[in-house]
Amino acid sequence: MAGQDGKNPHGSDPDAIEAGRVAFRIYCSPCHGIGGAGGRGPDLTLGVYSVGDSDEALFTTIADGLTGTEMPGYGSRISSDSLWRIVSYVRSLARRQTETVTGDAGAGKEIYWGKGGCAACHRIRSKGGRLGPDLSRSGRSRSIAYLRESIVDPDETITPGYDRVTVVTNEGKRIIGVGLNYDNFSAFVMDANEDLHSSLRNEVQSIEKDSQSLMPGYREVLDDSEINNLLAYLAGLRGEAQP
Amino acid sequence: MTMPFLRWCGTLVLGVAAASGADVTNQRLLNAQSDEASWLMYGRNYPAWRYSDLDEINTSTVQRLAPQWIFQTEVPGRFQTTPLVFDGLMYVTGDDNHAWAVDPVTGRSVWHYSSPVPDGAQGCCGQPNRGFAALGDKLFKVNFEATLVALDPKTGGVIWKTVIDDFKMGYSATAAPLVVKNMVLVGIAGAEFGTRDFLDAYDADTGERVWRFWTIPGPGEPGHETWGGDSWKRGGGSTWVTGTYDPELNLVYWGTGNPGPDMDGDVRPGDNLYTCSVVALDADTGKLRWHFQFTPHDVHDWDAVADPVLVDLTVKGKKTKVLIQANRNGYYYVLDRTNGNFLLAKGYTKITWADGIDSNGRPILIPGKDPTEEGNVACPGLGGGHNWWPTAYSPQSSLYYFPTIDGCTIYYKTSQGYIEGQWYQASTVAGVPSEPPSAAVVALDPTTGQTRWRYKMVSGPSSGLLATAGGLVFSGDAEGYFVALDALTGKVLWKFQTGGRISAPPITYVLRGRQHIAVAARGSLITFLLPDD
Repeated sequence: MAGQDGKNPHGSDPDAIEAGRVAFRIYCSPCHGIGGAGGRGPDLTLGVYSVGDSDEALFTTIADGLTGTEMPGYGSRISSDSLWRIVSYVRSLARRQTETVTGDAGAGKEIYWGKGGCAACHRIRSKGGRLGPDLSRSGRSRSIAYLRESIVDPDETITPGYDRVTVVTNEGKRIIGVGLNYDNFSAFVMDANEDLHSSLRNEVQSIEKDSQSLMPGYREVLDDSEINNLLAYLAGLRGEAQP
Repeated sequence: MTMPFLRWCGTLVLGVAAASGADVTNQRLLNAQSDEASWLMYGRNYPAWRYSDLDEINTSTVQRLAPQWIFQTEVPGRFQTTPLVFDGLMYVTGDDNHAWAVDPVTGRSVWHYSSPVPDGAQGCCGQPNRGFAALGDKLFKVNFEATLVALDPKTGGVIWKTVIDDFKMGYSATAAPLVVKNMVLVGIAGAEFGTRDFLDAYDADTGERVWRFWTIPGPGEPGHETWGGDSWKRGGGSTWVTGTYDPELNLVYWGTGNPGPDMDGDVRPGDNLYTCSVVALDADTGKLRWHFQFTPHDVHDWDAVADPVLVDLTVKGKKTKVLIQANRNGYYYVLDRTNGNFLLAKGYTKITWADGIDSNGRPILIPGKDPTEEGNVACPGLGGGHNWWPTAYSPQSSLYYFPTIDGCTIYYKTSQGYIEGQWYQASTVAGVPSEPPSAAVVALDPTTGQTRWRYKMVSGPSSGLLATAGGLVFSGDAEGYFVALDALTGKVLWKFQTGGRISAPPITYVLRGRQHIAVAARGSLITFLLPDD
């Protein structure tokens, strides 16, 4: 079921949006967040979608999933009509962006590569460190609010796979880094120098994973204006060839 | 219920396997606990102890335990099977309607059964299968699309096939059947699709249905009044894990799952019997003899499907036939299994929804813990507590063992209309930021509910357990480690990295005079034994 030219037959019909919201909460929110602002999955409030901007592209993505990502297909579990209603709801989210960019992207770029020291841990395309998430597409996949939270209060939401693990050796040496592996008997850690460490619990004093981010909070490092500039730069990163 | 404590030397003569054809009699099933060359049913014996008298592999020798062979199924999935072993073959079910007979000496496949899952069949959580049942010259397994098949143990050929119910309604089947007398008892899933669920018994010879017990009572039946309006038609109450059987009392015990829709209780006012309950049924007729509801009007998806384990305990100075269960709602329960009377409940994990259990077994609710549109935190989380993971009871240690998740979940309620065959959970959940859950294998004194030890794990448990007279408890974890714990202390005595998430309970048996351990891990089945000196 589809309208002409792959258009959503329900469009912005309020009843369809409400039905889509219900379905979204059930099927989509575990990854995209209860309000669609992203988390494990991309932020859908931006109105910018990696699969393209057409209704048909959104429908196909929800129905068939997205190869190479964690996005599964729901075509066998949700009727086509209900899928279109989800498309209606996702479209409605684009108007709910609660924070817009106010800063200067050019100034933010300088902060990113200079004072902020962001590149020590984050990559944009092939440049930068590997301790934190790749930010090449941060403007597509994260809301401004999420990015702001990540900068000023990075412990609030830690991207899966970037948990902090601390190993204390028998000599008392502390190895702190990202846990590339962490289990009941061992840990494999990448430290701030991107050196790799394999540790067995029975050969060290302790191995602990905590809910703290490796990233420091920047509230004390950057002022509000600088943070807004940095956000403007990050919001402009959409996977295109840059910086 | 006590069992003679058989020593290892007494088992050697039983261990000479010969693939001479299957003949699993009722008497053999009744004596399954003492048949050390075999593993004849899902819970090892009718009380579901998952305990073996074998002790060649013990606290002193287990450090030498080594893999014997690895059978690669090449079928992805959760592989939650409990293998059966008897008369010279091992029988294993896999995800997506696959099954195999494997030569237990070599690990080579003898036959492979598969049946395509039809388009439109759907379930909440993948397409797993938890094992075969056996009787006479037949094996029995469910297929995901809610069918039951009888297979020839020698060839894997289909002897008969029965449709349990219509998968297009949302019904699916994943549990290992339970053979009782000449019947095959089969549970069903579907509560997340607004089905009205049941427990069925089928004639083992013909596949004809003998009886059906609806877990949601219909008009005119006791308990129907616990459902507002016509909500009973979509009431859920799945029976997706195998139950137990007491031949002396002629009672079948089966746990039931959540009411539907899961987290919007407004549309189904009342206690919602017999969801989140254990039911005791007359084995011959399927008639209800008693029930006990752990979580009235559940809104957190706290199924009560976990093994209803049958033991005899001394309660208030009196030997009592009891049923024990570590329930998903966070409490451990002891019931009198002759009449369903409540005897004891004790919390084993963080609980925020109730302030204890009253003298009648009813939870003392703490207001304001139900799911909301905005989200509301409650503990345990969606998965429990103790979920379906098979438990173990050791008469040697007199301890009851089960895995648990210790943590909380944000529960959301979403008003949702019912559409036949469509997902009908009316909810979603999310983790609590900065509060990742922890996990453990727990050893309890079953008489008091006191925790004896906890083996802490870094991520949620995934596998079932096996206890042995070697003083061991075997378990697996989500990261692929298969471990042997000291049954008295919880200390890790041995471990092996299997290479895949372990979602199945281990088994043990004697083959060629040697104790073996077998466990499924991701797409592989692995056996272990002590190497030659």
